[in-house]
Amino acid sequence: MLNTFQDPFMRSALMASLIVGAVCAYLGVHVVLRRVVFVGAMLSQVSAAGIGLALLFGLNPSLISLALTIVGVIIFSFRSTDRRTTRESLIGVGYVMASALAVLFVAKSAQGEAHLLDVLSGNILTVMPQEIMYMAIVAGVVACLHFAFGKQFLFTGLDADTARAAGYRSGAWDLLFFLTLGVTIALAIRLAGALLVFGFLVVPAVTALLITDRLGRAYGIAIAAAGVATFAGLNLSFTKDLPSGPTIVAVLSVILVITAGVRKLCH
Amino acid sequence: MIIRLENVELAYGRGWTLSGIDFSVPEGDFLAIVGPNGSGKSTLLKAMLGIIKPRHGEVKRAPGIRFGYVPQSQHIDEIYPLTALDITLMGRYSLMGPLSRPSRKDRETALGCLSDVGMGHLADQPYRNLSGGQKQRTLIARALACESRVMILDEPTNDMDIAGEAAIMDLLHHLHKEHGMTVVMVSHLLNVVSGYAKNIALIIDGKITVGTVDDILSPVNLATAYGTEVRVADMEGHRIVIAGGTRC
Repeated sequence: MLNTFQDPFMRSALMASLIVGAVCAYLGVHVVLRRVVFVGAMLSQVSAAGIGLALLFGLNPSLISLALTIVGVIIFSFRSTDRRTTRESLIGVGYVMASALAVLFVAKSAQGEAHLLDVLSGNILTVMPQEIMYMAIVAGVVACLHFAFGKQFLFTGLDADTARAAGYRSGAWDLLFFLTLGVTIALAIRLAGALLVFGFLVVPAVTALLITDRLGRAYGIAIAAAGVATFAGLNLSFTKDLPSGPTIVAVLSVILVITAGVRKLCH
Repeated sequence: MIIRLENVELAYGRGWTLSGIDFSVPEGDFLAIVGPNGSGKSTLLKAMLGIIKPRHGEVKRAPGIRFGYVPQSQHIDEIYPLTALDITLMGRYSLMGPLSRPSRKDRETALGCLSDVGMGHLADQPYRNLSGGQKQRTLIARALACESRVMILDEPTNDMDIAGEAAIMDLLHHLHKEHGMTVVMVSHLLNVVSGYAKNIALIIDGKITVGTVDDILSPVNLATAYGTEVRVADMEGHRIVIAGGTRC
């Protein structure tokens, strides 16, 4: 396996995947617990639509993608009081709208549809050192915010009314949480693509929550699962000449299936 | 006064309103808010806590007094991998600095609150594995952990059998009598609350009538509120409310 990572581009891919995997796996535990799994998919597509929009008008893809994702987060973080719609349905509407816009923007841009696959599935093998540095900075800021305000995110996510009765502004904490998620996704998608980012957000968290009754351990197990899948997936991708993102997601899925099977046998 | 509602109007559901709400909760009271399903009981409770804002009027809470809120236990999502102690510790969060983490003292206080409600031995159990009554006790412990003098509960005996109902009500009675706790609770179980509450707030057609248990739980008041014939009987000192006409 070590031979795989002797090439500089594979070391860069490994570093980028480990950073994206760790931060997404951690945030994914919150996302799964808050039952907003598809918000990750929606924000991925909003971010992709931002990249498409930037390509269409010759703007900076990272900035436009980030700006559009933040707008999406702000709209989403308002809790609807209309009983005729649910949060899930709004996520679904956001997802299909953003997906359609991403395809339309890219199709009409100068780079054309050739760029579409990179936007949607990403290519972690072509990541630049500067992009890794930006991702590491964002991951560090997210880690600091969650270390500092972990109890606020947990309390308002679990029981918004009681948190509000205790003096917390649940809406503001929700907004800050989803901003950390949105910024992470917007940047991660430029490195790893929508598929891998969504895979890192959901699969490690589900794996962890299957096997532990402790929240602290769930974060650790999710990050570890993302790390193992990154090493194994990139190695498989290199030796078997497979696309890197889907291979890592496939390994994540195998880890989840094995974990679920072992858990079933033990219970 | 612990809480004073002055000419409050609340909107809830699809255009329903509660209006002309004007009453106070004195220190040491045990007030039960009752009324038909969908009459706005929980909305009133949330307005008293400041969770929702009234459309008109003012809700005044005594300064410096902490309120412990106990929501319906099914509002706590069991997907969270948290222990009874983790849940109880959340009651301490508002007493910590914004950047602080729970200290040893916070843990000891939370454990003490769990012991006070008979849950000390289950502190490390996952919340999701607890019975309905144990979950409710854990949420009461969380409300105690914020050093509250007022306990505000939303349907604390929901979905419990009669033994569970009695155990929770006895616990609230104990906290009220022995710890001087002011208790405000929403319930739809008239027979349960009538044996414990000092005062009752009955919601009738969007208006609230507050008074002693004897004054409020009259057949006329209850028939008007619930739209059905109601009889109130006395059995060995316990008030029994029976709804519906005479049956064979």
